[in-house]
Amino acid sequence: MKVLLLTWEFPPFISGGMGMACYGLIKALLSMGVEVDLVLPTTEDVYFPLRSVGDTETLPMDYLDPTQKNKPLPSRELALVERLRLVGLPVFPDSYATPALRQGFDKTMEEVIRSLQRGLARDLDSVRLSLESGGEIFKKSQVFAGRLAQYARRLQCDVIHVHDWLTYPAGILLKVLMGRPLVAHMHATEFDRAGGVGDERIHHIEYAGLTAADRVIAVSQYTAQMIIDRYRTDPGKIRVVHNAFSISKMSEKKQRIFKEPLVLFLGRITLQKGPDYFVEVAKRVLAHRSDVRFVVAGSGDMFSKIIKGTAARRLKDRVLFTGFLNRDQVEEILTSTDIFVLPSVSEPFGIVPLEAMAYGAVAIISKQSGVSEVIHNAYRVDFWDIEKTAEIILDLLKDPKKRKEMARLGQEEVMKIEWDQAAKKMIQVYQQLTCST
Amino acid sequence: MGPSGKKDDSGLSTTHMLHIVFYFQVHQPYRLRPYSVLDIGQNLNFFDEDLNRAVIRKVGEKCYLPANQLIKELIERYEGAFKVAYSITGVVIEQFRAYYPEVLDSFKELARTGCVEFLGETYYHSLAFQFDKAEFLSQIRMHRKLMMDEFGFRPVVFRNTELIYQDQLADSLEEEEGFQVILAEGAEKILKWRSPLYAYRTYNHRFFLLLKYYSLADDIAFRFSNRAWSEFPLTTEKFIYWLSKLSLVEKGRRNLFVNLFMDYETFGEHQWKETGIFEFMRHLPEKVFDSPNLSFAWPSDVPQMMDYSPEALSYPQPVSWADTERDLSAWLENDLQFNACETYYEILSEIQSRGRSDLLEIARKLSTSDHFYYMCTKYFQDGDVHKYFSPYQSPEQAYMFYMNALAGLRERL
Repeated sequence: MKVLLLTWEFPPFISGGMGMACYGLIKALLSMGVEVDLVLPTTEDVYFPLRSVGDTETLPMDYLDPTQKNKPLPSRELALVERLRLVGLPVFPDSYATPALRQGFDKTMEEVIRSLQRGLARDLDSVRLSLESGGEIFKKSQVFAGRLAQYARRLQCDVIHVHDWLTYPAGILLKVLMGRPLVAHMHATEFDRAGGVGDERIHHIEYAGLTAADRVIAVSQYTAQMIIDRYRTDPGKIRVVHNAFSISKMSEKKQRIFKEPLVLFLGRITLQKGPDYFVEVAKRVLAHRSDVRFVVAGSGDMFSKIIKGTAARRLKDRVLFTGFLNRDQVEEILTSTDIFVLPSVSEPFGIVPLEAMAYGAVAIISKQSGVSEVIHNAYRVDFWDIEKTAEIILDLLKDPKKRKEMARLGQEEVMKIEWDQAAKKMIQVYQQLTCST
Repeated sequence: MGPSGKKDDSGLSTTHMLHIVFYFQVHQPYRLRPYSVLDIGQNLNFFDEDLNRAVIRKVGEKCYLPANQLIKELIERYEGAFKVAYSITGVVIEQFRAYYPEVLDSFKELARTGCVEFLGETYYHSLAFQFDKAEFLSQIRMHRKLMMDEFGFRPVVFRNTELIYQDQLADSLEEEEGFQVILAEGAEKILKWRSPLYAYRTYNHRFFLLLKYYSLADDIAFRFSNRAWSEFPLTTEKFIYWLSKLSLVEKGRRNLFVNLFMDYETFGEHQWKETGIFEFMRHLPEKVFDSPNLSFAWPSDVPQMMDYSPEALSYPQPVSWADTERDLSAWLENDLQFNACETYYEILSEIQSRGRSDLLEIARKLSTSDHFYYMCTKYFQDGDVHKYFSPYQSPEQAYMFYMNALAGLRERL
């Protein structure tokens, strides 16, 4: 079984959960003997043929075009990040485009349009229009699709598996050009990312991708329902495959940054993730006791607003910020976290709480999330219920024994969640599709 | 005190003198490195040593060394009739010692001429006066001791950080013996119809006040190389002409003082060598001495030169020399600045009340006003200036690192 897998991010360069999800899933697939040809938004025409689990760390690469085989690739002697830089992989993937990235570009790309017009009807035309109308990020998605279309006849695979809207146009093209089944993975819909309605052009692309796909993978029941409600996708072709998590090391003991307990928010600082609710919770907790530290980790379009908000509330140095953290730093702060809060307005899945729990933190998670479907030893709260969240934190601070017990139960529970379970479900999907075609 | 070019005996009656009072501010903060939450448990290395060294080396090369050389030449050429004053912060002297001892030596050489005056200020160039009067006085004492140790000089003239002054400061300063003069900004909102050319008294009549003549000072400090400025280029002759005209305001015989206060970095750093700023300064004294009623004075000369009884002037609100507002808004206006400042003084008083002298020095380096200046969000006309001076990408980033450092301090308590 060979899968052509398209995604916008992959470690070490990640900006959100999708990169880590692809990483975990691919590793498990490889361990079960599935071959994965990974394509990332590089500027050079390369892909990454992954054959063994270890390849996910070293990322061997090759040219998409066999006639370019003589052209030298970045030396394998070089460090991974350096090799990736040489093939033009962005260090900060724009999977979560800012509004600025979506504006201001108005140019067509002939190849894509010509390919798209080849017999495909209205949906695909709306993809074309959306890509054409868009800004920088649409242009990138278009270039990505155009490149894969160009090499489609030379590529070989049993299944095409695409992750989120940026790769959907490429997926649709490849399905048409290669005649292979298409699996569209949904890590987040535009409605989740925007924390509201979002960008209509992306709706068109998501709709087309979901419609063209032979199977749709939703990362949670919550997301499956979102897809059905918003895009009226045939429920019969949707499968729910929950994410798992991967952490690089398991520390026996919790590390400490502060003598006092640490309550963490970690994620993009954007409307979707509810950082403003976190600050309100911090204010309520700090009104009762000051022997606690709140940390907002991550970067995003609301950073300025949130940091000024904590200053305006005069929360002193009890609420701190980290800015963008790389993967190692993420794990470092998770090992020091006592209480993890996920106040997302809409969270298709939410891997970080699992990681935090694995590192021994108690998790308080938004009910509007996919992760709340898979764990029980965590507090589930409506994202808007700041009073309730503050109450839970105060209760946990008052009762360290209870906190420890809850953390232990949570840790035990998440340790049973593994990517192998997800990979098995994926292989079933692949097999069904390849048998029936 | 017999300046060579002077013609007091020329027969033309010199009714009164206009004294040019130069004071140069010498200061560099300890800039923070990107101190992260993850550092808090590990270390207290708040400061960006590489950056701070690089700044001291660069500014030393471009400004402090050549400017000191020039001032020394002028002092020697005019045998003491050319006078200037310096206010040099404790934090910049520490950094000279660590990164560029030759610069400190050249200031000591200037001190040895006996022809430069050193002013008193807060050792850490802090806003302590606004938050903690006891700390304010401690930092003044530290600085006086430093001036004595390094230059053998006991300051009698005081200037607060960024020329910030208000009435209560004169009350506080009474507790510290030996000061006679305070420098302040000559803001119109205080002066109204009065002229900044006269000396004044503080509202409590305890100190003389000398007020910056900001338009002329800023012509040198800010506009000198600005080609869009209608008076560009600023020649020594033109400047002397303006000064002579100024002296006409006085019809009697009273001494006048034109107080040209500015950052020392004006010479060679804010205004590059190529703009001719050094040449401008080099030729200024000879032209001054050619003019019958112009001369130089130190701020400390003022009490002896008083040939009239100065009027008391009240500064009910703080006035500074920064930005167009000339108030505290460059450091204390937005929530980031207030939260940072309030938290800082809370932690400082904790450190002091617990007698944690091991933390006091590093904590005091965080009191330097520049840290709050970098958090300024007034991104209009003045924002450009703030951005020019800031080592950070944004005010929010400056705040983030600063608050992490405060949390690091608190963690050690």
